[in-house]
Amino acid sequence: MRAELRRTLVGYGFVLPWLVALGLFIGYPFIAGFYFSFCDYPPLRDPLFTGLDNYAELLGDRSFHRAMGVTLIYAAVAIPLGMVFALTLAMLLNARIRGQSIYRVIFYLPHLVPTVAVAILWLWIFNPKFGLLNLVLSGLLGAMDAWAGLFFDVRAALERGNPFHLGSLALPCAAALAFVAFGPPARRLGLGRRAETRLRLGAGACLAIAGVPFLHTAACWLFPADMVKLHSPGWLSDGTPLPACVSFAPSWALWALIVMSMWGVGQMAVIYLAKLQDVPVELYEAAEIDGANWWQKTWHVTLPMISPVILFNAVMAIIGTFQVFTEPYIMTGGGPEDKTRFVAMFVYDQAFQYQRVGYASAVAWVLFLVIVALTLGALRISRGHVYYEGK
Amino acid sequence: MTVAAGAERQAPWYVAFPVHLVLAAGGAFFVLPLVWMFATSLKPLDQTMKYPEGVASALFGIGRTAVIDGVRRAVTLEREVRPSSENRVYIVRAAEGFAAGEMFLPFGPETWRRYPVFNKQELARMEAQVAPGTKLLADDRNRFDPEKGVLALCSGRAVRAELVREVRPDPAGETLWLVREWRPEDTDAKEVGSTAGDISRAWEVLPEREIGRTIREIPQNYPAALRRVRFWRSLANTLFLCAMTVAGAVVSSVLVAYGFAFVEFKGRTALFAVTLATMMIPFPVVMIPVYLLYRNLGWVGSLKPLWVTSWFGNAFFIFLLRQFFLGLPKDLLDAARIDGCSELETLWHVVVPLSRPAIAMVALFTFLGTWKDFMGPLIYLNHPSQFTLSLSLQAFASEHGGTPWHLLMAASTVFSLPLIVLFFATMKTFIRGVAMTGMKG
Repeated sequence: MRAELRRTLVGYGFVLPWLVALGLFIGYPFIAGFYFSFCDYPPLRDPLFTGLDNYAELLGDRSFHRAMGVTLIYAAVAIPLGMVFALTLAMLLNARIRGQSIYRVIFYLPHLVPTVAVAILWLWIFNPKFGLLNLVLSGLLGAMDAWAGLFFDVRAALERGNPFHLGSLALPCAAALAFVAFGPPARRLGLGRRAETRLRLGAGACLAIAGVPFLHTAACWLFPADMVKLHSPGWLSDGTPLPACVSFAPSWALWALIVMSMWGVGQMAVIYLAKLQDVPVELYEAAEIDGANWWQKTWHVTLPMISPVILFNAVMAIIGTFQVFTEPYIMTGGGPEDKTRFVAMFVYDQAFQYQRVGYASAVAWVLFLVIVALTLGALRISRGHVYYEGK
Repeated sequence: MTVAAGAERQAPWYVAFPVHLVLAAGGAFFVLPLVWMFATSLKPLDQTMKYPEGVASALFGIGRTAVIDGVRRAVTLEREVRPSSENRVYIVRAAEGFAAGEMFLPFGPETWRRYPVFNKQELARMEAQVAPGTKLLADDRNRFDPEKGVLALCSGRAVRAELVREVRPDPAGETLWLVREWRPEDTDAKEVGSTAGDISRAWEVLPEREIGRTIREIPQNYPAALRRVRFWRSLANTLFLCAMTVAGAVVSSVLVAYGFAFVEFKGRTALFAVTLATMMIPFPVVMIPVYLLYRNLGWVGSLKPLWVTSWFGNAFFIFLLRQFFLGLPKDLLDAARIDGCSELETLWHVVVPLSRPAIAMVALFTFLGTWKDFMGPLIYLNHPSQFTLSLSLQAFASEHGGTPWHLLMAASTVFSLPLIVLFFATMKTFIRGVAMTGMKG
């Protein structure tokens, strides 16, 4: 009995610092924040309990609605995009080719640049007149226009005219090629496994090269206004939605922040990569013996095996994305027209600029509840889809 | 792409090639911004604010060189000179002094309009005296009469001068340019002090073919940028914070993780579950009350709030270390206990030596987090003498609304470099650490 008591004392001795932290830096602020959210708390005075006033104000506060809307749209675009991008990257980095270690370092490097430096660097890259992005973009678009001109009439497409001319005959040819390479004929030819792979990769490359001008012209035809603007976008200073015909679409400024966030997916990719390398080779061998192709192996072996990491990354992305602060704070200051004022920034402004501690606490709590709800949602959806080895 | 097949076999070329292609394209997206940052940091200001003529000038500043007085110098093109039979141009040497403002400067007003950063210097020059013996350009505005040896100034005064050389139209029909010696410090408005006597900076009139092109890099941007962000002061603050947080995080997290891993006490499981749950609480939620707490302690405006917290453990590191500790061989611990080691002795003599990689990882990640942190310093620090690098850089950027891009990029490069160096120095620990992050699943 005494031994057990002693062990308990020793144990609490070891975790004592953490108990202090739990109480002082997590538990107390957590509960205090909750209490403040029901108070009017002017600077240098005691909080005054006002019940649900702050929350009632939230419901009617347009600028809060805007902030929440921006944050939700940003999350809805940036999280899935980042997850897919990171996973694709990890799978490419896992391919057995030479020079992988160099690629891995390259993709991880941006994660090492401090956030403030990243924000300032991208502010410069997004500079409408002299920035790198518009420089590269105008070069790429020029090349694409020239290439597309062989097949389609881009100018006509921009004016919503008929973009097809003689060169568009390439379109049925491409469809035929796709049918031969990916449809039933490929299997009937009896080429054998390797030749089939080669045929498909070759056809895929041709289609990709021919497909770029097609997609480009299609985009010009569907979104002429956006495509004209794409030749020299104002990025962070442009608050109009992209595509222009969807009013709730992310603004150009928000897209800029999304593009920038893609630059930091290296961390996530490395986490995926570690798990990918952990997938036992026997599983792939077994799948191959069963005659699975690359796609089937990915879908039925790789994805289930790495599903816990996908879930982990999703949860981390949700928690991180909803707290985005530094980038918009430095790059746009919330502008243009609040189109990049995220909730975290809204909280900061309310608490430290306007000294409205009670109201800021209420907003922070709403943010917390949103994060909790989404995280629980992710866990819920994942149930039955995530495979835990050895459990 | 084919992860398949025999363990160590390389992918066939027709798979490897497209994968390389895609990775290289992606790599460009990831690396070009960094290259651009470094390239901009070496450019003169006027080159950053100019539409680049090509790839070379996008990545490097394009400068010009020419031989003046027998010395090859970096020069700028000041203006076109078009001599003709009606408009004769001479290079003369003034025999007596006069005020620079009295003459039409060889670097005419259009030059100043093109480079507004020179305004201060121009003003200084208007006050300057042109010393006897200074080389001057006489043209249709500052007229020179070779027979009488008299230079009629813009102001109406005439001074004596001797002819150095007559500038004739180029026989090949090329444009003649007035080129002026260029120095790196010309690029930074604030760094240009009073350069009153600078009218004598070497210049010459040359045809285009005699003007060479070079890549112009100016490492002088770096000292200028570091001065502006009060680099050494901020670095000292940042390093102090890093040292305190790293020490705090390592000591506290190791202790707590040991307690969770090896000491069985009542409520351990529940406490650990709570620990994990706290990772989900976003910073903005606890930010305000913690701020008020520190304000009541009178610590706002000091570095204390930024490092004290780390001495009480961090949920994520506690979790990582605990997982690592549980993987250690139990026998060693039991042996130590049988030998009569106390818990602390076991921790110090057995667990710590075996967990070096995990502890290094905690130290590394804490260092990284502190170095990069922006919101913490933004909230708690209010005097420039306490600013960390993040905050100094942001202050510098916002104070100028982002014009001196060359200096901002130089400062950003210096700010990022230590982390990149640290990464290469500790690559193994680093990658393993990131991988471990996800392994909890």
